[in-house]
Amino acid sequence: MATATKKKKAAGSAKKAPARTSKRAAAYTPPKKFPISFRVNGSEVRAEAPAHTSLLYLLRDLGFTEVKNGCEAGDCGACTVLLDGVAVNACCVLGVQAEGREITTVKGIGTVENLHPIQKKFIELGAIQCGFCTPGMIVAAYELLEKKPRPSREEIKAGIAGNLCRCTGYVKIIDAIEAAAGEMASSKGRKS
Amino acid sequence: MRGFDFAAPTTIQGALKAAKGKKYRFIAGGTNFLPDLRHMHDGLPQLVIDLSRVDALRGVSLAKGEVRMGALTTMTDFLENKIILREAPILAAMSAKFAGPIIRNRATVAGNLIDGGPAADSVPPLLALKAVVRLAGPGGKRAVPLDEFFTGYRRTVVKPGEIITEVAFPAPGKGHKWGYYKLARRNAMAITVVGAAAVLKLKGGACREAGISLGSVNPAPIRCYEAEKILEGKAVGLALAQKAAEACRAASAPIDDIRASAEYRKLMCEVLPRRLICQALGIPLDQG
Repeated sequence: MATATKKKKAAGSAKKAPARTSKRAAAYTPPKKFPISFRVNGSEVRAEAPAHTSLLYLLRDLGFTEVKNGCEAGDCGACTVLLDGVAVNACCVLGVQAEGREITTVKGIGTVENLHPIQKKFIELGAIQCGFCTPGMIVAAYELLEKKPRPSREEIKAGIAGNLCRCTGYVKIIDAIEAAAGEMASSKGRKS
Repeated sequence: MRGFDFAAPTTIQGALKAAKGKKYRFIAGGTNFLPDLRHMHDGLPQLVIDLSRVDALRGVSLAKGEVRMGALTTMTDFLENKIILREAPILAAMSAKFAGPIIRNRATVAGNLIDGGPAADSVPPLLALKAVVRLAGPGGKRAVPLDEFFTGYRRTVVKPGEIITEVAFPAPGKGHKWGYYKLARRNAMAITVVGAAAVLKLKGGACREAGISLGSVNPAPIRCYEAEKILEGKAVGLALAQKAAEACRAASAPIDDIRASAEYRKLMCEVLPRRLICQALGIPLDQG
């Protein structure tokens, strides 16, 4: 008798097996989302994202596609933005870390109607070819000129060392940053 | 990705409490964590604790003859902080070769240490400066000399639940001599092939105290005690510098990898310390 019951039990559990699989599938819960509120180029932004979302993905998903996705490993600088005024690789910052912070992308530095001298010189001197590195390069150049208003060519090279460009060979980019520094210095001179 | 929970405490106590009983990971700049995250399908933490809002971990000060750097001191701070520039310019020289300016803005000294990598660039200069790492954890505070901090390849003495609060070193004083060299395949964004640092304190014509260290040639960066002993208490010339450099070479145990062969690294473990010691002390180098 005992063996019979055992057999019954075994048969019962075999029938239940597919049900258990579906139970496991139902147990999946998507990653918890976190509310993130921060400022991008002066505008208040409210978003929601899982904690593992990088600032790069967060910004791009919100429509700030001027922030480019290059290597996602901090090597290429294409995603460079200012975080509270400091240049960072957006791919190396968690979106949730931006809570309450101020982000500036290349569009916050100057707009198409009102170009920043760095942007103007990049266009004038042909420092843009495919354009993919340009947003990050301009943000990096902006921080460099904030710290060193009149850098030497060597200092410019060191200042954009974290930004890769596969088209220009860098010469025209360095020319443009040098020219922008000159223009910014002379316009400052005029103002004072 | 399964995702993880996130906390951003503002105090050290809050950070320690958050880590309790969790499979956690502390982050600050994120320059190690986010690139790693893409390959972290298994070892994903349950909880990521962002320490970058803990103000008590910030700031550089000089107290009791000791330079104290909060855990969140960045590589950019190494290049710009007045106390560091005045007391230990070797750290600025190292930082100028550390990755690129954008990474330096986020990468912290504690992150570079806790990552435990053999090529962590801030370690050789800090070893040569005889730095100490201060930790806080559930069991209280403790201090560990940096040369006892690493226990192997990417292994440290840090216990579960502990955080680095401060990295400090005795100010080497006015007139100390130093040298740093990062041998790498590019000028920026490069992983070090061999890193070497020397800090020499002089008295009269003699070397009173020496700190010599190598990176990227052992499972973790090392201090070359034998080389230090050879120099200490002596008026150093080329012959003694050579002897110390040979001791550095003997202390190294490099491996072959995609960046360089073990054989080449072994040679450089002699060339670089000799060059640094000679340049620091103004000894003319006949060769090398």
